[in-house]
Amino acid sequence: MSTLLEVRHVSRSFHTTTAVDDISFAVQPGELLGLIGPNGAGKSTLFNLIAGVLPPSAGQILFDGKPVTGWKSHDIARIGIARTFQIPKPYRQLSVVENVMLSAFLREKSLAGARKLAETTLADVGLADYSGAPANSLTVGLLKRLEVARALAMRPKLVLFDEIMAGLTPTEVGVMTGFVAGLPARGITVIWVEHVLYAIMKTATRMVVINRGKLIAEGAPAVMARDPAVVKAYLGEEMVLA
Amino acid sequence: MSIAIPASISSRRIPVLPKRGQISWFEIVLLVISLGLVVSGIAPSLQDVILLSFLFAGLGLAWNIAGGYAGLISFGHSAFFGVGAYTSTILLLRYDISPWIGIWVGALIAAVFGSILALICARLRGPFFILSTLAFAEVVRIGALNWSSLTGGPEGLSIPPMASLAGMVFASKATYAALMLGYLVFVYGITKGLEASRFGYYLFAIRDNDDAASAAGVNPLLGRTAAMALSAALTGVGGSLFAQYFLYLDPTYVISPELSFQFALLPAVGGLGTAIGPVLGSFLITPLSELLRSHLGNAAAGLHLVIYSFGLIVVMLYFPAGLAGALNKLTRWKPFS
Ligand SMILES: Nc1ncnc2c1ncn2[C@@H]1O[C@H](COP(=O)(O)OP(=O)(O)OP(=O)(O)O)[C@@H](O)[C@H]1O
Ligand SMILES: [Mg+2]
Repeated sequence: MSTLLEVRHVSRSFHTTTAVDDISFAVQPGELLGLIGPNGAGKSTLFNLIAGVLPPSAGQILFDGKPVTGWKSHDIARIGIARTFQIPKPYRQLSVVENVMLSAFLREKSLAGARKLAETTLADVGLADYSGAPANSLTVGLLKRLEVARALAMRPKLVLFDEIMAGLTPTEVGVMTGFVAGLPARGITVIWVEHVLYAIMKTATRMVVINRGKLIAEGAPAVMARDPAVVKAYLGEEMVLA
Repeated sequence: MSIAIPASISSRRIPVLPKRGQISWFEIVLLVISLGLVVSGIAPSLQDVILLSFLFAGLGLAWNIAGGYAGLISFGHSAFFGVGAYTSTILLLRYDISPWIGIWVGALIAAVFGSILALICARLRGPFFILSTLAFAEVVRIGALNWSSLTGGPEGLSIPPMASLAGMVFASKATYAALMLGYLVFVYGITKGLEASRFGYYLFAIRDNDDAASAAGVNPLLGRTAAMALSAALTGVGGSLFAQYFLYLDPTYVISPELSFQFALLPAVGGLGTAIGPVLGSFLITPLSELLRSHLGNAAAGLHLVIYSFGLIVVMLYFPAGLAGALNKLTRWKPFS
C-alpha cells in the first residue's frame, strides 16, 4: 500500500524556540500511530503543521502522495484529514448535535443527512443522550468526546487525536481506548497523542517519540518502553506492558 | 459511557417563540397584526411610526445577518444604507432609471462595499473590528460629501414629490407602510432561509469558533465576506426605500454613526442572532425613539441616543439574550411544576 502521510524534514520555530526541529516520519494506511513526548515537546505544534493551522518554517508534508505543505486548514480538512483540539473548541452557542453536523456537512450536504450522520457519530462516542444539549453545558470530559465526534463525522482518511483521554475516568479511558483501537478496521488511520501511556502503548501499532522538537525514537510500543533514550527523556523508568 | 442528564433545554422549550428555521404561530400573529395596521389605515398620526418600525425592523434584520449570525459586530452599516440610497436616487435623477430597478443596483454596489469591508478587516477581531467598521463608514461619508458632482455634496439630493408607481413615490402613507412591510417580510424570509441552510450553519460556526470551523472544512474568510455582502445588500435596499419615502437624502444623516448604532441596537435589544429579535427590538425602540425625538426636539439633539443607550445597558445586564430570550424564559415557566 502507498504511504498515506509523509512528513519530510519539517521544522517550525517561534521567535527563538524551535518547537518542531527537522522531523521526518511516514504513516501507512491502517496504522494507529502513537505520538508521545514530554510536555512542550512539540506534539501539538506538529499536528498544527499537518492540519494546516500553521505553515512549517521548513520541510514538506505529503498526503496521499500529494504535496500539501502550506495548505490552509479548511483545504486540508477537505482532502480527508481531521483533528481534535487539545483544548476543546466547541461552537458554544450551538447544540451538541449541531456541533457535529458542521463536520458532517463535509460529506452530507443536506441538513437532514448531516443530522443523521451526526446522530450516528454521537452514538458511537457515547454522547447520544446529549444530542440536544447546548455545547456550553458540557464538562471537559464530554467536550473531549465531542471533539472526537466532530473529527469522525468528517469521515476522514486520517485523524489526529490530541490528548482525548485527559480528564476521563479510568472506566471511560478503557471504553475510549477500545473505540480508538477499532478505527483502523473502519478505514480510518490514526495518529494519536496521549499522556495516558498505558492506554496508548497497549493500542498503538507503532510509536514515534519526540523530545524538544526532535524525533528521538520510532518503533513498536514494547521496544519504545525499554528504549534508553525514551526512558531518559520521558518515561523515567522502563515500562512493563501488560 | 453514557451518563444521563436532565432533558435538554431545547426539548423543554414551548414552541411559542420561533425555533430556528421554523415558523411559529407567534410570528403569524405578528404578521397579521402588522397587515391589519397597514390595511385598516387606522390612526393616521401613527402611520409614520408604524412604517418606520417596519423599515427599521428590516434594517435590524439585515444588520443581524452580519452581527448576530456571523458575529461581525459592525458600527459602519450606515455606509451600506447610504450607498443604497444614493445609488437608486442618482440613477433616478440622472438617468431616469426607476427605483424598482435602482434598488437592486444599489444592493449590488452595497454588497461590493460590504465585501471590501470584510476583506479589509479579515484579521481584526473584537474592538479593533468594530472601530474599523466605524472608520470605514466615516471614509464613505466623507467621500459622499466631497464627490459633489455625483452626490450633491453637503446639500444632498431631492427626489421630485410626484406620485407615480414607476417612480416609487406614493401619495398615501398606507402604500408606503405596505412597501416597508414588504421589505420586512422579505428580509425576514431570507433570515429564516439562512437559519435552515448549510450556509447559515457555517456562519454560526465561524462566529463561535474560527479554528474549529476551519478544521471542519469551512473557509472562515469566505463565510465572513459572504455574510457581510448579504447584510450590506439588504441594508442598501432599506436605504433606497428610505430615500423613496423621505424624498431627500441628507448626507450627514444617511451615513452617520448614529444611524449605524441604531441598526445594531435593534437586534441587541430584541435578541442577537434570532430572526424575531430585530423585529421585537424595532417595534419597541423605533416608536420610543420617534417619541423622544419629537418631545426633546432639536434643543437636545442626540439626547434620545443617550436615553436608549442607557436602556440598552439595562437590557444587556438583565436580559443578555434580548427580548426574545426574556420571552422564551417566560414561556418556559410553568406555574404548577
Ligand atoms: N503559537 C505559538 N507561539 C509561540 N510558541 C509556541 C506556540 N505554540 C507552541 N509554542 C511553543 O512550542 C513548544 C511546543 O509546544 P507544543 O504545544 O507543541 O507541545 P506539546 O508537545 O503539545 O506539549 P503538551 O504535551 O504540553 O501538550 C512549547 O515550547 C510552546 O511554548
Ligand atoms: Mg499539546
